[in-house]
Amino acid sequence: MLIPHPLLGPRDAQEFTYLGDARLIDRPDSSAPDAEAAFCDYVFLRDNPAGVHRELWFHEQGDRSWLVVTRDTVTHEVLGAELARNVPLSRTRCGK
Amino acid sequence: MSDLRPITALGAALPRLASFGALEIRENGGLALASLVLRRGTVEPTPFGLTLPGPGRCVAGQGVAAVWTGLDQWMIEAEGRAELDFAAELKQLAPGCSVTEQTDGWVAFEIVSRAGSRPLNALLSKLVNVDLADFGPGRATRTGLEHMTCFVIRRGDAHIAVLGARSSAGSLWHALETAAKRLEER
Repeated sequence: MLIPHPLLGPRDAQEFTYLGDARLIDRPDSSAPDAEAAFCDYVFLRDNPAGVHRELWFHEQGDRSWLVVTRDTVTHEVLGAELARNVPLSRTRCGK
Repeated sequence: MSDLRPITALGAALPRLASFGALEIRENGGLALASLVLRRGTVEPTPFGLTLPGPGRCVAGQGVAAVWTGLDQWMIEAEGRAELDFAAELKQLAPGCSVTEQTDGWVAFEIVSRAGSRPLNALLSKLVNVDLADFGPGRATRTGLEHMTCFVIRRGDAHIAVLGARSSAGSLWHALETAAKRLEER
């Protein structure tokens, strides 16, 4: 499987490690009143869709960037990849 | 005072050198390394007159070279200065940037072909997952080599350097030696 790295072009998926759902970027606010419930959902609840999925991949044996890869989990077709740092964050992240 | 004797990454008094057909592999014990990282809002420096290269590239100057290693970060190399405090020198030339000494973390192997680029490309195609159609002089990348993370730097048409973790220098030499030997036997 090749991952189209936005800076380095197509790279072997073996160079990457997989983290999971790209929604992990949206870390809940730890100072919010419902933080405990929000973190419970954040840590334990995941969608496991059969189809298009946005995922976090780490280019470990490469430039060590985090990518958000859009992949079809049924066909393994990779539909796109972007730098995670460029993914706009809709929610406030704690500590930032 | 104790009688301390410096040893190379491969544990010997002198850097290792071996030839396999047209290929020569040389441990480069003198290569000084320091990483250079831009901080937010800092101006990109031009240390030793080097214009820092873009993704997947390297540039060389007089005894120094720069390799792109990630967004806003580079590895700066200096030939024959491993015994000196190269990071301190670089820090002076890159005000506001983060500079970290890297020399002791890595081992460098220079691989030179006496018969043009063909034997070198054959070796690379056995060892690393790099698109050789787009890996001419001036290209450099970090990739996996037998599960070890390495920088592969195309210094010239018939010259590459492989930088790997110093702690696995022996395994890296073994991988390069084995592949080069098999090419020689063909």
